[in-house]
Amino acid sequence: MSVDPDAVDAAFFDELRKHYSDEEIVELGAFIGFNLGYHTFFGTLKFYPLFSPDGRLVSQAESEKLYGAAPASLQKPEAAE
Amino acid sequence: MSHIAPLPLDAITDPELRALIAEGEALGVPNDLFGRIVARAPEQAVPLLRALLMSHAQGNVDHKLKEIMRILLARFAGDKYFASLRSNKARAMGLTETRIDDGCFAYEDNGNGFSEAEKCALRYADLMFLDANQVDKAFYDEMKKHWSEAQIMELGAFIAFHYGMAMFMRSLGAKAAL
Repeated sequence: MSVDPDAVDAAFFDELRKHYSDEEIVELGAFIGFNLGYHTFFGTLKFYPLFSPDGRLVSQAESEKLYGAAPASLQKPEAAE
Repeated sequence: MSHIAPLPLDAITDPELRALIAEGEALGVPNDLFGRIVARAPEQAVPLLRALLMSHAQGNVDHKLKEIMRILLARFAGDKYFASLRSNKARAMGLTETRIDDGCFAYEDNGNGFSEAEKCALRYADLMFLDANQVDKAFYDEMKKHWSEAQIMELGAFIAFHYGMAMFMRSLGAKAAL
């Protein structure tokens, strides 16, 4: 939906229906649309998690260092060491 | 025809959802198609529709400006459904198709009479999904010259939500007239 919306076509929905009900497809589609919009918006606000990966309450400045350009939560275990 | 068939109106029995669908019909955005599709997921339908209506028709930013922003976003998303709808409230307030097109395609042109605050808000909608990197600290500093922080949050959330729902309706292949 985000990278190539034209690929979400009738054939794609036929495939979705093999696994999900119409109710679930609507739920998923609205959820994806909602997140697609809000994550971009939140990304522009440059705010960071209140807690460090080990559960400490941290300032925004410290959190930016932890999660900034390369969020620790997205690193492979060996890279996050 | 949408990839998900909308429910017939008479199959929707939840009075709260029916009232919200009627509210959308009266406003013109969304018309009943959106409500009848999301009614397939009844637990999602009421909060989704309520938030969509509230973010568009309420708040502390001019409704006409939000209507232009909404259409700009739907056009950018390639969503024929939301791009074709028009707010009856904005129309009654004097919003014309010429003004909408100017707001979508030529708001920076000083001859079109958009205020600096309106230009900034339209730029916000324009850049968010075109190049979010340009919506940076300098951009927000400029926004704060014209809008309160509450209004900026209202605008940002409005942009995020309406773009997301436009992408959702695009994915369904929905068009305004069935």
